[in-house]
Amino acid sequence: MASKIMGTGAGKTLQQNGRKTILHNPYFQFVLFGVIIACVPLLSSAGILRSSYITLVGSVLIYSVAAMGLNLLFGYSGLISLGTAGFMGLAAYMSAYLTSNLGLPFELSLVISIAVPVIIGILIGLASLRMEGLYLAIVTLCVSEVLRKTFEELEVFTNGFSGKTAAYPKILGFLQLNRDTTYVLLVVALVIIMILTYNLVNGQTGRAFHAMRGSVVAAQAMGVNLLKYRLLAFALATAYASLSGVLYVHFIKYTYPSTWTMGMSLNILAVIVIGGLRSIYGTILGAAIVFIIPDLLLKQIPVLGQINGFSYIFSGVLIICVIMFYPNGLIKVFPELAGLFRKKKGKGESNG
Amino acid sequence: MAEKNTAVHTLAPDEILQVKNLSINFGGLKAVDDLTFTLKEKEIFGLIGPNGAGKTTVFNCITQFYKPTAGEIWFRTNKGTVENLIGKQVHDIIRLGLVRTFQNVELIRELSIIDNVLIGAHIDFKASVLSQALKLPKARREERELRQQAESVLDYLGIVELKDQLAGGQPYGILKKVELARTLMCQPRLIILDEPAAGLNDVETEQLAETIHTIRDKYNCTIFLVEHDMRLVMSICNHICAISFGKLLANGTPSEIQNNKSVQEAYLGAEED
Repeated sequence: MASKIMGTGAGKTLQQNGRKTILHNPYFQFVLFGVIIACVPLLSSAGILRSSYITLVGSVLIYSVAAMGLNLLFGYSGLISLGTAGFMGLAAYMSAYLTSNLGLPFELSLVISIAVPVIIGILIGLASLRMEGLYLAIVTLCVSEVLRKTFEELEVFTNGFSGKTAAYPKILGFLQLNRDTTYVLLVVALVIIMILTYNLVNGQTGRAFHAMRGSVVAAQAMGVNLLKYRLLAFALATAYASLSGVLYVHFIKYTYPSTWTMGMSLNILAVIVIGGLRSIYGTILGAAIVFIIPDLLLKQIPVLGQINGFSYIFSGVLIICVIMFYPNGLIKVFPELAGLFRKKKGKGESNG
Repeated sequence: MAEKNTAVHTLAPDEILQVKNLSINFGGLKAVDDLTFTLKEKEIFGLIGPNGAGKTTVFNCITQFYKPTAGEIWFRTNKGTVENLIGKQVHDIIRLGLVRTFQNVELIRELSIIDNVLIGAHIDFKASVLSQALKLPKARREERELRQQAESVLDYLGIVELKDQLAGGQPYGILKKVELARTLMCQPRLIILDEPAAGLNDVETEQLAETIHTIRDKYNCTIFLVEHDMRLVMSICNHICAISFGKLLANGTPSEIQNNKSVQEAYLGAEED
C-alpha cells in the first residue's frame, strides 16, 4: 500500500492511510470519544460536575444525531431542509404515545417512530426532484409547521399545549434505565450513528451524494440515479432526526409543541454550518457550541443575557463569522492549529 | 416526441454508433437538423464545426440529456447487443458502455482525486446501502478492488502521486486528466470527449493526443470527440464529421475535410459575395 503522502492537515480526511497505530483507527477514535463522553455521569456523581450538566450534554448528543442527518442531506447531497424539528417532534410524540398509552416495548416503538417519519421524508424527497434551493426549503418548512400545528391540535394523542410525558426507556422489557443509564444509551446511539455515517460517506453512497451536490449532470452521466439517491438522502436525514426525537422524549421525559419550531430547525442547521459541513466531529462540535454556550455562558452576561432570543443573535453572528473565516466550519480550526504547532517544532520534524 | 422505435437496427458488424436523421428543436430553433453519421469500432472520430454549430447538442442528445425531436441513435453495447439510445434514462447510458466528459470539467472539488475517479465506478458497486453502512466484507472487498483499479488508471495517466490531494485547486491540466481517468473506470466501449484540449497549453495538447491514442489501444474502445483545436483533430482523428447550424457539411478523412469547399466556407466565410 503506497501511503506515503499524508497530505497537509489532520488525517481525518484521509481514509485508508495512517493505520500505523490503533489510535489512528477511526473506529477506535469513535469508541474512545464515546467512552470519554460517557464519563459525564461519573464526574457528576463524584461531585466534579453539576448534575444538570448531564441533561445539557445529553441534549447536545441528541441534537448531534439530528444534525448528522442534516449534514448527510445538506452537507453531502446539497439538498436543504428546514423541517428537521417537525420530524424530531413527530417521532418524539409517537414514541411517547406508543410507550405510555399503548404500552408497546421501547424497541418496537423506536422502530415505528422512525419508520413513519421516514415515509413522509421520502415523499418530500420525491418533491425534491422537481424543486431545489429556496423552494425546497419552503416546502420542508411547511411540512414541519403543519406537523407542529398538529401537535397543538390533535389533543387525543398529544395533550396539546400541556405537553406529553414519557418514561425512561425499558430495554428488552426488563432493564429499566434511569437518567444516568439513559445518558449512556444516548452515547451508544451517537457512536453507532457516527460509525454508520463514517462508513456511508466514505463509500459509494457518500461519493454519489458528493457527485449530486457537485454536479447533477456529471452525477447522472456517471450512472448515479438521482431519484434513488435523493430519496435515500431524505430517508437517512429523517431517520436520524426521528431517532433523535425518540431519544429526546425518553431522556428529557416530556415534549411540548413549542419545542419543535422553525427555531429548532434553524438551530440544527446552524450546528452543521458552524461546526463543519461534511464533518462528523464538526457536527458534534457545532452542537456543543450552539446548545451549550447560550445556556452556560450567555445567560451570565448582565444585561444582554436577559434579552429574549439572545441565543439566536449569538448563533446568527457566529454563522456570519464562520462563513467569512472558516467556510468549512470551526472544526477546520484544529488542523490549522496543529499545522502551526508543527511549524514551531521545526521543519525537520515534519514526518514525526 | 420521439416515438419508441422498433425498427431493426442497421449497424454493420464493425460499426459501434449510428446517429440517424437526428433532429432537435429548441422552440423555433433547429439546433440539430436531420444529422446522420456512423462511427466504426476503434475509430477516433472527430465532430467539428464553427461556434454554435450544435456539436455539444449532438453529444447531449446521444447521452440523453436532451430528448431529440426525431431520429434514431443506435449503439452496440458492452453486452454485444445493438440498442436505440432514444428514450433511455440518462443514468442508464453508462451501463451500456458509453461514457462522456464535459466541456467545463465537472469534478467534485471537496473530494480527493482518487475519490473523484471512483465516482466513475459508481455502477460497479453492487453492495447494498446497508452493507456499506455496516462495512460488510462484500462492501469492503469492492471498495478495495475498485480503489486499486482507480490507482492503476491514475498511474497509467501519470498522476497517481496526487491521488490523495483534493481536486479543488489542482491545475486545469490535471483536472482534465482526472476527468479522463473517471471515464476509464467503467470499461467503456465508447468515450465521448467534449473539447478535451480546451484550456490546455501546446505541450499538454500534444500529450493529450498521445494519451487518446494509447487509451484507444489499451482499453480497446472507440473515441468520439468535439474539438476546436484543428491541429489536434487533424492529427489524431481517423474520421471527421463537420457540421454547421446543425446540418451536416461533410464527412470524411482529415484531408478530405481540409479540402472540402463548404467546410472552408463555414469556417472562413465564402470567398465572394
